[in-house]
Amino acid sequence: MDISKAPNPRKLQLCRIYFLTGFAFLPFVWAVNVCWFFDEAFRKPPYTEQTQIKRYVIYSAIGTFIWTIALITWVILFQTNRAAWGATADYISFIIPLGVS
Amino acid sequence: MAQQKKAAAIWLLLWLQSTAGVLGERTREKMYEPILGASCFRRLNGTHQTGCSSTFSGSVGVLHLINTDADLEFLLNSPPSPPYAPMIPPHLFTRINLLRLKDAGPKTISVVLLINRSKRMTQFSHELNCPNQYSGLKLHNSTETVTCDASNVANTWNRWGTGLLHEDFPFPIYYIADPEEIDKLEECFNKFNNFDYESHSLRSLCAVEIKSFMSAAVNSEVCMRRTNFINNLGGSKYCDPLEGRNVYATLYPRTPTESFDVDATEKFIVVSCRLDTTSMFDGLGLGAMDSLQSLAVLTQVAHMLHKLLPSANSQPDPKRNVLFLAFNGESYDYIGSQRFVYDMENLAFPTRSTRTTPISFDNIEFMLDIGTLDDIGNIKLHTLNSTPVAKQLLQLLNQYAKSTRYGFNVNIESNVGLNIPPTSAQSFLRRDQNFPALILNAAPNNRYYHSIYDDIDNVDYVYANTSQDYTKLADVNDAKNISWSSLQMKVRNVSSIVAMALYETLTDKQYQGNQVANPLLADEFFYCFLLSSDCPLFKASSYPNSPAGVPLPPMRYISVLGGSQESSGWTYRLFGYLLSRQEPSVPKENCTQLPLFYFAGLNGTGECRRTTQNYTHALSPAFLIDDYDWRSGQYSTWTESTWSQFSARIFLRPSHVHEVTILSIGIVVFIISFCLIYIISSRWEVLFEDLPASNAALFN
Repeated sequence: MDISKAPNPRKLQLCRIYFLTGFAFLPFVWAVNVCWFFDEAFRKPPYTEQTQIKRYVIYSAIGTFIWTIALITWVILFQTNRAAWGATADYISFIIPLGVS
Repeated sequence: MAQQKKAAAIWLLLWLQSTAGVLGERTREKMYEPILGASCFRRLNGTHQTGCSSTFSGSVGVLHLINTDADLEFLLNSPPSPPYAPMIPPHLFTRINLLRLKDAGPKTISVVLLINRSKRMTQFSHELNCPNQYSGLKLHNSTETVTCDASNVANTWNRWGTGLLHEDFPFPIYYIADPEEIDKLEECFNKFNNFDYESHSLRSLCAVEIKSFMSAAVNSEVCMRRTNFINNLGGSKYCDPLEGRNVYATLYPRTPTESFDVDATEKFIVVSCRLDTTSMFDGLGLGAMDSLQSLAVLTQVAHMLHKLLPSANSQPDPKRNVLFLAFNGESYDYIGSQRFVYDMENLAFPTRSTRTTPISFDNIEFMLDIGTLDDIGNIKLHTLNSTPVAKQLLQLLNQYAKSTRYGFNVNIESNVGLNIPPTSAQSFLRRDQNFPALILNAAPNNRYYHSIYDDIDNVDYVYANTSQDYTKLADVNDAKNISWSSLQMKVRNVSSIVAMALYETLTDKQYQGNQVANPLLADEFFYCFLLSSDCPLFKASSYPNSPAGVPLPPMRYISVLGGSQESSGWTYRLFGYLLSRQEPSVPKENCTQLPLFYFAGLNGTGECRRTTQNYTHALSPAFLIDDYDWRSGQYSTWTESTWSQFSARIFLRPSHVHEVTILSIGIVVFIISFCLIYIISSRWEVLFEDLPASNAALFN
C-alpha cells in the first residue's frame, strides 16, 4: 500500500492501529510502524495529524529499542549459559544441539 | 538385404556397448579412496562420557606413520602442517601416548588410526585395572568396590589394563585390521608425505577423513532426558541404554503351575557365568579368554550333569534343581546380574509367562560363579566368608581334580576374604554379604582382557573338525585325537571336575564313572563362537533347514535394544538343545510351543525335545526406577550414543597456500565479473546499436 496516497486521517488511524497492535508482544509491528511512518512524521510538510503520528512513531521506536535490547540480552545470556543451566535449558529449548553439553 | 544389414549394425553396436562398459565415475569418487575399519564410539554413564567422536562433518588429519616414539615426539613437538592423523601400531597404543595425543588438542591431532601390526605387541587391554571398579561389593558407604585396590596395580584383577576404555577422546579412533588397507595407507603416506618435512605446509599431503559423529554428550542423565523429552518434536534419539538378554536353563524341567507363590521346598544350586565381552571398537572383540572360556565350561557342566542325571525323581531330594545362568552386560557394571537380583527381589523371576512359581533368594542353596579361567593350573575358589558349604564344595572339587583315576592334575585352592574377582556374584554379595556365593576363578593372566586381540591366538585354539558325535560323554582316556594340552582339553578337565562335584552334591554319591565331558563339544563350541556362526553345533540347535548363520563369529557385546543379540540367541538355542530330552512320541506339528522345541539335531533330521531354557531381560534397573539418582552408583547407568554413520577415506589434502590461492582467485574473478557487467549495462548502446524498432520500444 502506498501510504502517500492515503488521506491524512487514514494515515493517523493506521499508525495508531500499528502502535496498539505492538502491545500484543509484537515488537516487529512497532518496527514496521517506525519505518513506514518515519517520512510522514518527520519529513513531510506539517499537517494537523502529523503531531499525533509523530508521537506514535517515537513511542514505537522506543518500544522497538527496548525489545531489541531485551532480546539481545536474553540471547547472549541463554547461549552462554545453556550448558550450565542443564535440565532447565533443555526444557525451554526446541532444538537441542547434537554431541555437546 | 539392406534392412538386414541395418539390423546387424544395430546389434553390433549394442553388443559393443555392453562389452565396453560405462566408465561413469564421478569426480568425487576419483578423489577419495574408502578405507575399511572399525570405529571407536561414545558410551556414557551416570557421570561421564567415554569413547570417541569425530566433528560433525568429519575429522581430517594428515597421515603420519608412527614406528618409534621419536615419530610421535616429532608430531607433538614440531608438527609442520597440523592437524595430523598418526597411524599407531598396538605396541605404541599405550595410555601415556594416547593421553599425550589427547592433551595436544584437536588442532594438532585430529584423528588416531590404530593399525593391525601386532608383531611387537606384548599386552593390550583397555579395561581398568579393577574392572567394574564402582559397582562391585562396597563396604562402609565407599564409592569404590572393596574387592580390588586400584592403587596396588600388581594385585589388581587386570594389571595390564590401561583404562583407555573409560577415557573421553576429542578425536575419532579408527582401527584398521586388513593388511591390504594398511598397505594402502602406508603407500599413500610414503608417496606424498614421507619426505622433505619442511615443505609439508607448502604441498598437497595424503590425509584421512573419519566420520563418526556422536549425538549424545555429557552423561546418561542428560542424553536420556533429551531422548525422552516432550519438546523433542523430531523424535531424535541421543542415546540408548545398554540392553540385552540373560539366558538361563534348569537341569530338570520345572512343573508348570498357575500359582504365583514361592515354593519354599524347592532348592536351587545356581551355576553362573558371563555371556558378554567388550572392546573399544564397534563390532569387534571375541573375548575368547575373558569370558568365552567360562561360558564353554558352564555349557559343558550343564551338558554333563544333564547326561548323568536324567531325572530328578531318582535323586535323594527331587525338589533340588540346578539353575544355569549366563549374564549379559556384565562388562558394564554387571547389568545382567543387577537386573536379575532386582527381579528376584521383586519375585519377578521367572516371568509369569513361563507358568512356573517365582524363585526367591531363600530357594538358592548356593551359587557357583565361574569367573575367568586364564590359567587352568592356578584356580581358586573365592568366598567372602568361610562357610561349611564352601569347604564342602572345595573338598569335592579337589577330590576329583587331584584324582589319579581321571588324571586332571588340577589343584583348587581356597581364598576367603575380600579379594573377590569382578564377576556376577558381586551383585548378589552386594545385596547380602552372607549370600552363599562361591567363585571359581583363575589367577589373572590375560594380557588382552576386553580387547580386540583377545581372540583365537590368545587362547591357542585349533579346530579339530572331527565330525564325530559331540553330544555323548567321552571316556576319560579317549582324547578324540585332540592334543592333551589343547584348550578343548582344559575346558574338558575343568568342566568335568565341576560337574562331578555337583553330581556328588546332588546325589550324595561319589562319581564312579569313566565318562567325562566331551572335548569335541568344546571343540565345536569354540569353532562357532570364535570362527563362524555357520557351524555344526549351531546348526544342530536350530530349527531344521533354517538359514545358516553368517560365516562370522557372533557379536558378544551386549549392545542396545534392536542390536544384534546374536550371542544370547545362540546361547539360548544351545542351552535348549544340550539340556533337553527328546520326545519321540510328539509329532513335528505338535512340537511348536515352549517348552517343546523342534531342533535339527546332530544329523539335521529334526527331533522334538522338551527344553528348559529361557531369557530374562538384561536392562539395568536404573532405567526402570522413576527419578533414579544417576549419581548414586547403585545400578549400572551405561548408555550408548547414537550415530548416523561410520566412514573413513583418504584423499590428497591441498596445502594451505593452495587453498588460499584458489579462494583469492575466486574472489577476484567474482569482483571482475561485477565490474564487467556494470560496464556492459551502462554502455549497452555501444554493443547493441542496431536494436530493431519493435524491441527498442520495450527498452525506452
